[in-house]
Amino acid sequence: MSSASELSNTEPVYRIVVAEDAYLIREGIRSALEREKEEVEVLEYCPDFDSLLRAVEEHAPNVVITDIRMPPTNTDEGIQAATALRESNPGVGVVVISQYVSPHYALKLFEHGSAGRAYLLKERVGHRIQLLEAIREVAAGGSVVDPKVVDVLVEARMRAKNSLLSRLSTREREVLAGVATGASNAAIADSLFLTKRAVEKNINSLFAKLDLTDDKSTSRRVRAALLFIADSDLEPGTES
Amino acid sequence: MTRAAVSREFASDQPELDLELRDSAFGTALRRSDLAVIAVALAGAAAAAAIVSSGGVVTAPTAFATVLVANIVTLAVGGVAWRRGRPFSLFGNLLLAEGALVFVSSLSGSSNSVLHLVGLLGIWGTAFGASWLLVVFPSSRPAGAAWIVMGIALATFLVGELPLILTSSSLQGLTSLSSCATTCPANPALAVHAPSVATAFRYVEDALQAAWGVGLLFFLATRFAWASRARRRLILPVFVSAAPLAAAFTLSAVVFGLAGVSSSATARAIFAGARILYPLGFVAGLLFARAYAGEALAFMARKLVGRPSVATVEQLVRRVLDDPQARLVFWLPRSEQFVDRHGRPAVLDPGLETVTWRAFGHGDAKVLAVVHDLALGEDPELVEAVGAASLLALENRRLEHDLLDSVDALRASQRRLVGAASAERRKIERDLHDGVQQKLVALRIQLELTRDLARGNGLGNRLDALAADFDDALDELRSAAHGIYPPLLADEGLEAALREVARRSSLPLTVDLEDVGRLSEDCETAIYYCCLEALQNVAKHAGDDALASLRLWRDRSAVRFSVRDDGVGYVPRSGINGAGLTNMTDRMGAVGGTLRVRSRPGEGTMVEGGIASEASDRTGDVIRV
Repeated sequence: MSSASELSNTEPVYRIVVAEDAYLIREGIRSALEREKEEVEVLEYCPDFDSLLRAVEEHAPNVVITDIRMPPTNTDEGIQAATALRESNPGVGVVVISQYVSPHYALKLFEHGSAGRAYLLKERVGHRIQLLEAIREVAAGGSVVDPKVVDVLVEARMRAKNSLLSRLSTREREVLAGVATGASNAAIADSLFLTKRAVEKNINSLFAKLDLTDDKSTSRRVRAALLFIADSDLEPGTES
Repeated sequence: MTRAAVSREFASDQPELDLELRDSAFGTALRRSDLAVIAVALAGAAAAAAIVSSGGVVTAPTAFATVLVANIVTLAVGGVAWRRGRPFSLFGNLLLAEGALVFVSSLSGSSNSVLHLVGLLGIWGTAFGASWLLVVFPSSRPAGAAWIVMGIALATFLVGELPLILTSSSLQGLTSLSSCATTCPANPALAVHAPSVATAFRYVEDALQAAWGVGLLFFLATRFAWASRARRRLILPVFVSAAPLAAAFTLSAVVFGLAGVSSSATARAIFAGARILYPLGFVAGLLFARAYAGEALAFMARKLVGRPSVATVEQLVRRVLDDPQARLVFWLPRSEQFVDRHGRPAVLDPGLETVTWRAFGHGDAKVLAVVHDLALGEDPELVEAVGAASLLALENRRLEHDLLDSVDALRASQRRLVGAASAERRKIERDLHDGVQQKLVALRIQLELTRDLARGNGLGNRLDALAADFDDALDELRSAAHGIYPPLLADEGLEAALREVARRSSLPLTVDLEDVGRLSEDCETAIYYCCLEALQNVAKHAGDDALASLRLWRDRSAVRFSVRDDGVGYVPRSGINGAGLTNMTDRMGAVGGTLRVRSRPGEGTMVEGGIASEASDRTGDVIRV
């Protein structure tokens, strides 16, 4: 997004702390963020959970990029950090990067609120637009879910008979998947070659169909859409 | 009976026990030697009856003959029974000897003076023998006060009978046993004809006979009064059957001898009855002992149902033997010693004064021994019954333990195998995730960075294609790693992992998953893969329209799961799903869980399993590295 970098010709907009224990990935992140140095300043690279929280205290960043799995327990420290920061530093956006395609982790990340949170597969780090988009979204309080996570779910649900998802038109389903990744209406419109107006219409109709409240807060909308895709079919009693 | 003889005997091996039963006095197969003894006794009894009836010197030949026949037969049968029931005891031989003496006494019915004298000595001998039998019973040698009784008996002969024989022209024998009055043959042993001296000696003999009878009665009464319950059981029939004889023996000496009252037919009949009665007591004693042993065995068998502890068995042994000091000791073949139930070595000294012991086992292999009061050595049937019952009870217990042990061992090794397999899979998944997958992801990032630099030219297009292939490879690797071991199961447990399975399943599936907490890794893996397998079966076999449901919950006793569908179902055991079902059953079995599959054509299938809480809960947290 060259327009953004042109706007900020004084100080970098995003002051970032990165937490990643694997050297190769950390170097990948470093190279990727080097490219964006007009917009992004990396304050510190941390190897584990504790040093991440300390670095956040010290540098007061506006965005954290963190591996999901780090010492000490190598389970979901990234999500724990996101939860802890929501309490201690509510203004800090968190991008959790992971090798897991599991929607479980994305939903877990959103459990205590989805505002300012992104769940991204690690290989996106090299992708200029996707990484920067996620950073911008979380800094602005938005939410991002890796499209692959949404795709896996949609794919499984579409194969299942009588899935609630299969009652939607193809267009509506594509729009819903777009919403679930956190894409803006404009971005959805771009990717589906629709007008922004048409996307809005689709969203209104499908949210009504699915009995979802179309939240004006996009981050809550992301979570609702993701939850719907992941779990709506699994609830007993929803099927006739 | 000697202690050495008892301790050398090891009963209870099955074939041996069988043999012993057939050999027993009340068994069916009599030994040839026993038949010979009985035959000789019957012939002797017949001969005795003939001698008494034909001699013409006996006052009441029919009554006398009846007594002799009855005594000979009873003593012979008793002797045979005793010898067979207790081969270690000499008492049976004593009974047979007494029977022989009774035959000799029949010679007193002969008119031949020498034979008559021998017969009279035989009568004295039967009285002495009967007295010996009563005081030694059930042993074979007198002890303590029994010697006094037998001393008086001997004195009766030496001071009364013997001088009388030497001085009296007419032989009458012991007053109570006198068999002839006026027609007795002349005394061939007459040394000095002195009627007045003879009369004096007769009084002496009568007095001593009375003392002998009283002594015997007193001895039997005190012996019974002081006896233990076990011993009383044995001597009661002897006491009851012998007391009338001892009383009649005493009274006849006093009344007919000392007081000079002439004996009557009634008195003789009573005396004859008492004589017939007494040897029956020995046979009855043996019968009672056996009957009690049988009862004790039945009682023990009833009480030993279930899984009695060693302490319980020992308590029962004490109760049945009526011996509070009785103990069970157990043979340790390796250290070659007996130990008690607390494992303390038990000293079994053959020279022990108050206790003896009897070992039980298989053939020559000892298993246990019953240590009991010495008096119970006279009740071997009881000790044998008690020992055999204890052996059986404890053997059963041991067998059951062995069985449970081997089942446990099998399960433990199965569990170790399954555990090792799932730990290995988890490790492989970790290695893939942190190793090759991570490197590929890092390379993918570098590729993307490179592509960004080369965007817009020919190289860029090549890199685009490469990136797409790279992504496919990454996806495949990811799903392979996930298939090896789902990281979510390791990190978050069953509920999260199964929910994820349901989300990514293409089955129409509803779930009801409770947070059951963390279980041991083996149990989580077992349940996870069973659910996965069952869901795959639904996808493969239940039909296109089948709806499935997956449930996970914890009740009071177990963590349970179920996978149901409303599909086509199948006839169980028809071979369909065979390997999958075996696989599931094995997985659950290895962790001590259960699995149930119910299916009927047209009614869907249900797979339900559970693992008891105590078997499934995590003992320590898994340490992740």
